[in-house]
Amino acid sequence: MKKWIVLGLISSLFFIGFSTAGFAADKKLKAGFVYVGPVGDYGWSHAHDMGKKFAEEKLPWLETIIVESVSEADSARIIDRLVQQQKCDVVFTTSFGYMEYTIKAGKKYPDNFFMHCSGFKRSENVGTYFGDLYQMYYLNGIMAGALTKTNKIGYVAAFPIPELIRHIDAYALGIKAANPEATLSVKWIYAWYGPDKAKEAAEALIAEGCDALAFTEDTPAVIEVGQRHSEKGKQIYTFSHYSAMQPYGVDSVVSGQLMDWGGIYVKVLESIHNGTWTNDDIWWLAKEKAALLGGSKTDMINPKFVKPLQNAMIDTKEFGKIAAYKLVMMRYEQMKKGVEVFEPFTGPIKDNKGNLKIKAGEKASKSDLLSIMYYVDNVKGDIPK
Amino acid sequence: MIKIKTTDRYNITPLRSFMTNILSLAAALVVISILFLISGVNPIFAISEIFSGSFGSFYGIKETLTKAIPLILIGAGLTLAFRAKFWNIGAEGQLLMGAIFATWTGLNFGESLPPYIIVPLIFLAGFTGGAFWGIIPAILKIKFSINEVISTLMLNYICAEILTMLIVGPWKGKERFGFPGTNNLPDSAILGIIPGSRIHYATLILSILCAIVLCVVVYKTRFGYETRVVGENPHAGKYAGINFLKTSIIIMAVSGGFAGLAGVGEIAGIHHYLGYPASVSSGYGFTAIIVAWLAKLNPLYAVISGIFFAGILVGGDAIQISLGLPAATVQIVNGTLLIFLIMGDYFLKNKIRFEMQ
Repeated sequence: MKKWIVLGLISSLFFIGFSTAGFAADKKLKAGFVYVGPVGDYGWSHAHDMGKKFAEEKLPWLETIIVESVSEADSARIIDRLVQQQKCDVVFTTSFGYMEYTIKAGKKYPDNFFMHCSGFKRSENVGTYFGDLYQMYYLNGIMAGALTKTNKIGYVAAFPIPELIRHIDAYALGIKAANPEATLSVKWIYAWYGPDKAKEAAEALIAEGCDALAFTEDTPAVIEVGQRHSEKGKQIYTFSHYSAMQPYGVDSVVSGQLMDWGGIYVKVLESIHNGTWTNDDIWWLAKEKAALLGGSKTDMINPKFVKPLQNAMIDTKEFGKIAAYKLVMMRYEQMKKGVEVFEPFTGPIKDNKGNLKIKAGEKASKSDLLSIMYYVDNVKGDIPK
Repeated sequence: MIKIKTTDRYNITPLRSFMTNILSLAAALVVISILFLISGVNPIFAISEIFSGSFGSFYGIKETLTKAIPLILIGAGLTLAFRAKFWNIGAEGQLLMGAIFATWTGLNFGESLPPYIIVPLIFLAGFTGGAFWGIIPAILKIKFSINEVISTLMLNYICAEILTMLIVGPWKGKERFGFPGTNNLPDSAILGIIPGSRIHYATLILSILCAIVLCVVVYKTRFGYETRVVGENPHAGKYAGINFLKTSIIIMAVSGGFAGLAGVGEIAGIHHYLGYPASVSSGYGFTAIIVAWLAKLNPLYAVISGIFFAGILVGGDAIQISLGLPAATVQIVNGTLLIFLIMGDYFLKNKIRFEMQ
């Protein structure tokens, strides 16, 4: 037993020694990126690839390899190939479903680094990172609540996991801040990439009377539905997700959320290169400029909807009567200063069964947010079990 | 005018069959080379990368074998069903049902039983699950004349939904912290691997044994003869007193059961827990249809075609990783290879003459 501890200590010292001295300033670092979808998906994998390209431009010593459309069932093989054949020093696995395989790879290759996106398991050489958009969903919710005519708002959602529940709830809290009368309906499509299902779900929500739609799915399908209805004279407000999708719905997209992974990738790769890497969870929000507001690269809010939002007045406790446009901007500024200044999940927050979940004046902690599994009180229905 | 005339070819020798495959492969490689040239990649370099990525390196061989295990099992089982002209498109669902049964058995009895009892038990459970899911369309077909292509295909989706329901609902494990998926199987239920690889050897040996046994059954027993009669001449079968219901049920129990065994291998050998359908199987049930076809419906050849096809899939990685081409290229290359191999079959079975008129 003792022998093993000593041996472990020696080997970990050895390991630390290697990782600090391993990459001299001029030494190349090779990074492999495993994507779950095609890089042309216009959503999740596309955004990661943009981040990778940004890091490549910024870091002259960086060499990269990407593998796209890797199913979870095949991820272990791809990681093996990147490490064994391509001699990658670090592998980024960018889908939740890769978690177990990333942890196993960490054990198998103690001299390599692994970064898993969106998971919660870490080990000596496996770190986690995530950029979360819930604050932007809150801002989108304010706009949806201010613009809706029917007081019925919809959300097309991928899978019932905490990340999605957090986004739905943040969107609902934004709606509530602007319009306490409005309710939110959710349709689950059980796919990250499923334009056909997303279209069906969007049509179903519109048929139920919803006139503002947000979504989590990797294509502009929901926006295309909104655009079609808007062109025919029935205004449907949509919120772009993840990439700049406004061009797909110039008459429908109000705003949206954009993710910039570039900063995270530069930070992680630099820390590995100069030997300061730790496996601390990286969780970046508006403050770190990972989460950005907007449905296009140029405007935060579609110019077409700026006027209506300036005319929509909202009663708030903090600022009195204020235009929705101004409220969005002020909240965004506060978010950029940090969650200490403004946190959408500030009590009192009740779930839609009437239970008090966050007490008055209290803020949800990061771990509360990461494990959230209840709907707030203006969301209709139940989370699928 | 030129007229094309086809006549059946009767003298198909093994050599001719082999040469046809080689020529088809060569023709496919020529077309693929053109595709690579268009993409600006040296085709000789690209093709050598693909083959060294699948068969030409230690890394490639062990990954190819890992991927071949489910393909051999399912492919061998499908040859039996296809011989009887029972078009089982439902192996994916049968695999998943096998995985469901095996996971239940492993999670509930794995803690208290030693490996030499629990491992055979989960294989038995997986076989039962797959067989159960395979028998349903057999009964539907014989009793109610419901087309098995439709019923087996649709049962895939039903099984995937049942699996999803289980892992987001009652079977969701504490180890997954609110995310869908069961807990990991206990260590005793996890299959050993060849060190340094991901080959779960128990399933590999089982898959080859299954193929051999099935080959003997098909060519040397009365039951094997019956399956061929059922497929090729159902009327004669009726006069000969073959019980269609019984024969079909046995055929689909074996075909589905083999797929179920493949599901056990994936769960207990690779993933160690039950997750979303797409993370349990990357479409093995569908890929194996082609494996069975390439094997000319001979269970033993399914071993070779299973390994060959696994090689194509694994070698495809190289297209992305070494050559930096998009993932869709892999599918184009694989699709081209298959089309040519299947076309070759046509020229093997038919004589083609051009006649001037």
